[in-house]
Amino acid sequence: MTTNVEIMKTKAEKAFAEHFASVSGSLPSDAVALDARQAAMSRFDELGLPHRRIESWKYTDLRNALTVDVPAVGDATAVSAADLDAALGPLAGLDTYRAVFVNGRLDEGLSTLPSMTGVEIGSSSGAPAMDDALAAESIVALNTAFVTGGLAIKIADGVAVDKPLMIVSARAGGSDLLVTTRHDVSVGTKASLTLIEAFASIGGTAGQSNALVTITIADGGRLDHTKVGATVAISDLATWRAHLGNEATYRAFQLIPGAPLARNQVFVTFDGEGSALDFATAAMGNGKDHIDSTIVVDHRAVGCTSRELFKGVLDDSARGVCQGKVIVQQIAQKTDGKQMAQALMLSEDCEFDSKPELEIYADDVVCGHGSTSAEVDPDLVFYCRSRGIPEAEAKVLLTESFVAETIDHVSSESLRDALSEIARNWLAANHTK
Amino acid sequence: MLEINDLHVKLAQEDKPIIKGLSLAVPKGEVHAIMGPNGSGKSTLAYVLAGRDGYEVTSGEVLWNGDNVLDMEPEERAAAGVFLAFQYPMEIPGVAGLTFLRTATNALRKARGDKELTTPEFLRLVKEKGAELNIDIEMLKRPVNVGFSGGEKKRSEILQMALLEPTMCVLDETDSGLDIDALRVVSEGVNALRSPERSMLMITHYQRLLNYIVPDKVHVLAFGRIQKSGGKELALELEQSGYAEYTDAAA
Ligand SMILES: Nc1ncnc2c1ncn2[C@@H]1O[C@H](COP(=O)(O)OP(=O)(O)O)[C@@H](O)[C@H]1O
Ligand SMILES: [Mg+2]
Repeated sequence: MTTNVEIMKTKAEKAFAEHFASVSGSLPSDAVALDARQAAMSRFDELGLPHRRIESWKYTDLRNALTVDVPAVGDATAVSAADLDAALGPLAGLDTYRAVFVNGRLDEGLSTLPSMTGVEIGSSSGAPAMDDALAAESIVALNTAFVTGGLAIKIADGVAVDKPLMIVSARAGGSDLLVTTRHDVSVGTKASLTLIEAFASIGGTAGQSNALVTITIADGGRLDHTKVGATVAISDLATWRAHLGNEATYRAFQLIPGAPLARNQVFVTFDGEGSALDFATAAMGNGKDHIDSTIVVDHRAVGCTSRELFKGVLDDSARGVCQGKVIVQQIAQKTDGKQMAQALMLSEDCEFDSKPELEIYADDVVCGHGSTSAEVDPDLVFYCRSRGIPEAEAKVLLTESFVAETIDHVSSESLRDALSEIARNWLAANHTK
Repeated sequence: MLEINDLHVKLAQEDKPIIKGLSLAVPKGEVHAIMGPNGSGKSTLAYVLAGRDGYEVTSGEVLWNGDNVLDMEPEERAAAGVFLAFQYPMEIPGVAGLTFLRTATNALRKARGDKELTTPEFLRLVKEKGAELNIDIEMLKRPVNVGFSGGEKKRSEILQMALLEPTMCVLDETDSGLDIDALRVVSEGVNALRSPERSMLMITHYQRLLNYIVPDKVHVLAFGRIQKSGGKELALELEQSGYAEYTDAAA
C-alpha cells in the first residue's frame, strides 16, 4: 500500500503560490527572468513558510503570523518630493545621495545618485548569489520570486564614497502592498561606503516588505550599514547576507520603531582574517508588536572580532526576540566574539526572548554573551521628577538613554542625531504611561 | 514660608513610624539647619518634602506659601519652588548632564510660565553658573553623575539648584564626603544662592558645614521630632556634647 503524503499548506503558503501564478508574467524580467522566478517559487514550495519547529524561527512562526492574503505587488506610483521628505522625517535632512524606490521600483526623478569615478550603480539582476545560509531561507526564495527592483552597487578598490548613500524604500498608494527589493553591495579593497536603508510609508500605506541585501567587503574595505524600519505597521521581512575578506570592517545597525511583525535576519561570514563586525540593534515595540532580530556570525578565519548588541524597549504585550548565533570554525583561532541582549520592559505583559548560541570548534578563542531585562528605575524617575521633569517625559528620557547606547555604535554624528530623534519621537508618541 | 505641622510619617510598606509629630517653620529668606543623629529621620523628612514614594504621611500637613505640598506630584513641587539636594545624588547612565539640565530647566520654566531657553541661551547660563562651582562643560557632556567623585556629585547638585532657581531648598548632608576644599566651593555656591526670596533647610550631621553656611536657626531632630531649637550657637553646643542625650541609650 502506498500513501500519498500531501503536506498541508497553510493559507499564506497557498496565497503566495496563487499570487505568484497570477502576477509572475508581469513582474519585471530584467530584475529576475521568469524561469528563475519559477525556480525560486518551487524552492519556496519545498521549504514552505518557516515555523516554530525550525530552530532559527522558533519564536517567529510565519505560518501562523502570515495568515492574511498576500497583498498586491506594488506598481510605480508618483510621489512628491515633499511627501517623501515628510515620510522620511529626521532622515530627510541628512546630506546623502539618494536612491528612491517607490513600491519596489526605482524612481529616478526622486533619486540623486553619486557620479564619482569608482562608484558604479546599476540594477540588481538575476537570482542572488546563493550559499547555504540563503538557500535555507524561504523568505529569500520569495524575494527572488517577487522582486521588482534594487541596486547593484560596486565601489572600486581604494574609493571612499564621499557621502552616505541612502536607499529609500517607500510605499505609496494607500492600500496594502507587497514590496520586494534586493540590493547587491560590493565594497572593493580598501574602499568604503556608508549605506542607509530607510523604509518609509506615504499615506499610511501598509502591507508586507521583503528586502534582501547581499554584501561583500573586500580586503581592508569598510561598510557602515544602517537600517531604519518604517513607522507604519507593516510586516517587515529583511535579510542581510555579508561576506568579509581580510581586515574588513562591517558596522551594521538597525532601528526598528515598532512593527506588528518584523524579522530582521543577518548572516555574516568571516572569510578573511583580522576582520571586524559591529552589529547593534534597537527594537521598540508596543501593542502586539513582534520584533525578531536574528544574527548568525560564522567565523571561518583567524583573528576576527564580532560584537552584537541587541536592545529592546517593550510595552503593552509587545514581544522582542533576539537570537545571536556565533559559530567558530576549527580554523578560526583567536576569535573574539561577544554579544549582549538587553530589554527594558515597560509593562507586565511584554515578553523578551533572548537566545544566544555558541558553536565553537576552535580552542583558542574568547567568546561570551549576556542578557538582562529590567524596568525603568523608579528611583531615577523620581530624581528626574524632583527636578521638574514630568513623569512621562522622565520615562521617555530614561528609555531613550537605554536606546542611545545602541545608536552610539553608528559612526556618523548627523545620522546618530537623526536616529535619536526617530527613537525619541516614537517613545514620545507611544510610551506615555 | 515653609510650615510643617505635626507631621507623622511611616514607611509605606511597614508599620514603622519614622517621623512622629514634627513641627517646624522656615520663614521666607531664612536658612535653618536640622541636625540629628544617624537614623533620626532627616533624609525621610527631605524625601517627604520632595514627594518620594515609599513613605506614608499618616497625619499632619506641610504648607509651602500656604499651599499643601503633600497633595502635589514631585514635578509640581519642583515647579512650586521645592528643591532637594540629595544626600546620595543618583547616577543616570546614558543621559548626558547637559541634556538632563536643559530638560529640567525648560520643563520648570514651562511649568512656571517662563519662556523656554534656546540651546545657546542655556549653554551660556550653564557655563556661567558652572564656572562658579568649578564645573566645566566637558564634565556635563558625560552622563549625569556617572563616574563622578563624591565632591563632583555634590557640586553637580548645587549647579542644578542654581539653574532651577528654587525658592525652598532642602540640602541633605551636602557636606558629607567632601574634603575641605570641596566644602568651601560647595558652601560658596550655596551662599551665593541665599536671598530674601529663598528659604533653605540644611540637613547635616556635623556642625562643620555651619561654619561655612551660617544658619539663622538650628533645630535638633531626634526620635522623629524636633527636640530643641535655637540660634547658631546650638550647633556649637552639639559639637561639644555630641548626640548622646538624643540617642536610644539616653532615652
Ligand atoms: N526606604 C526605607 N526602607 C526601610 N527603612 C527606612 C527607609 N527609609 C528610612 N528608613 C529607616 O528610617 C529611619 C530614618 O532614616 P533616615 O531618614 O535615612 O535617617 P537619617 O537621614 O537621619 O540618617 C532609619 O531607621 C532608617 O533605617
Ligand atoms: Mg540621611
